[in-house]
Amino acid sequence: MTSEEIVEKVKASLPDAIQDTALPQGDAVIFVAPDCLQKVAAFLKDDPSLKFDYLSDVCGVDYLNEEREPRFEAVYLLYSIDHQHSIRVRVGIEEENPSVPTVSEIWKGALYPEQELFDMFGIHIEGHPKNERLIMPKEWTGHPLRKDYPLTTETVTFSHNRDFKSDLVKSKPPTR
Amino acid sequence: MSVTEQGLLERDKDTMTLNMGPQHPSTHGVFRVILEMDGEVVKTAEPEIGYLHTGIEKTCENKRYVHVIPMTDRLDYLNPPGNNLAFCLSTEKLLDIEIPERAQALRVIMCELSRIASHLVWLGTHALDIGAMTVFLYCWREREMILDLNEEISGVRMMTSYIRVGGVAKDATRPWLDGIRDFIDYFPAKVDEYEKLLTRNPIWLDRTEGIGAFTREEAINWSLSGPALRASGVNWDIRKSQPYSGYDNYSFDIPTQSNGDIYDRYRVRVEEMRQSRIIIKQAMEKLPIGDYKTPDNKVSLPPRETLHTSMEALIHHFKLVSEGISVPKGETYVPIEGARGEVGFYIVSDGTNVPYRVKLRAPSFLAIPGMCKIMEGCYIADVVGIIGSIDIVMGEVDR
Repeated sequence: MTSEEIVEKVKASLPDAIQDTALPQGDAVIFVAPDCLQKVAAFLKDDPSLKFDYLSDVCGVDYLNEEREPRFEAVYLLYSIDHQHSIRVRVGIEEENPSVPTVSEIWKGALYPEQELFDMFGIHIEGHPKNERLIMPKEWTGHPLRKDYPLTTETVTFSHNRDFKSDLVKSKPPTR
Repeated sequence: MSVTEQGLLERDKDTMTLNMGPQHPSTHGVFRVILEMDGEVVKTAEPEIGYLHTGIEKTCENKRYVHVIPMTDRLDYLNPPGNNLAFCLSTEKLLDIEIPERAQALRVIMCELSRIASHLVWLGTHALDIGAMTVFLYCWREREMILDLNEEISGVRMMTSYIRVGGVAKDATRPWLDGIRDFIDYFPAKVDEYEKLLTRNPIWLDRTEGIGAFTREEAINWSLSGPALRASGVNWDIRKSQPYSGYDNYSFDIPTQSNGDIYDRYRVRVEEMRQSRIIIKQAMEKLPIGDYKTPDNKVSLPPRETLHTSMEALIHHFKLVSEGISVPKGETYVPIEGARGEVGFYIVSDGTNVPYRVKLRAPSFLAIPGMCKIMEGCYIADVVGIIGSIDIVMGEVDR
């Protein structure tokens, strides 16, 4: 199926769940609200002419600087191995209590990227078996890939600033 | 799982919890897996990642498009041209530019050479994990030739950054082309040599056959990709299904196997090395004459000699060096077939010269949960084989 046919088919089958569709550079893209995500995902996987059985990745984006509503977005990249076509499902997520239902029951491969979505953006994944940090240390505060998380630098002591002592060195207990 | 809040391991009454890694040599990087053992049998395997996290995706959001390319080298450090290409293809799709045929052929040669180099590292270390020392040394010998070729074309042995937005960094040189010709004549006998050592070796068969097997449905559902997916009987290769960089002009086979065990993954990768050589051979035979980068001076630098005569070239040069490439607003994703599977960059651009968001689709990252699931019920000695056969690179897992 071509991208136009995929988009038309999904739109015709689930008119209530699909917010919008687009064809940027010829790719099939659909926009879905978080509460309809599981329904759309199950349809995309089970419909015999679509059969999106392979989840390639889940990408998070924080559109804070773009001044658009909603702030967060989760993008699901899907393929059909048999039909060799692809689709992008974009799910807008509100800034207040961001959360999105899990699709890991439909594609098990979503377990890790969804957990990363929580770790990096603080988006709660409803129904995910592990709503905890994946890459960052367990005791970390903040979600690094949010746009309001500052990119900081750490001063390192070299010969030109040899009197500088980092906080790590200062707080180190004296050795005997 | 019997890990206390402080991260210490505790012993339960019936099972023993065993900590493998993060500094274990056979985990191919800093990968930790907490194994719950019942005697010698693994009951559960809990992966733990993040030891190599360097915030590359965050850093990319603050660098110009050209500056991102050297960072992509360091993600999957065994297959840098694949990462460069994935990033460049996504950017070029947003820019909507055509790449000259010669540049496309040079990209293909570079990517296939690095696929061979990556598979050689995999074969050597995987065989070493299972106990075959000789193959390791042989693989390193051939990989050295590819690293020398990398050095000739880009000046760097591993992190080549050779593929750039709009084309490649430098045109092919005669010693490089001669070196590749020598290599493709020399290499097939060496692959036969590895196969002679391993393929029908009873010890190798005992350690690999029927172990860590994914069925076709499991492999798809766990989002495995690349050789691990093809070993389970899925005929899926991005080079065939969504051809890029002119891969549709070359004739080559996609090796697949049906059992999906360690042995089949080995067979697929060894055959892939032969197929990569065939692709390089074809690309060398019909290497087109022409530009090695796009003539569009909004994307690639104008030739050095024109700066003295053309005002326009001088302006383009100044703008490109001081500002970089401005990419139109939009979002896109272009997948490629890397050495470990599907690599792709999901790029969101806000119309400036700095990407708004860069997300890597890392095949190793997606493969880890499935890999740990398949360890359950295996012997502890097979855990090493399973990790090796999936071929994870921690650089792209933790990013």
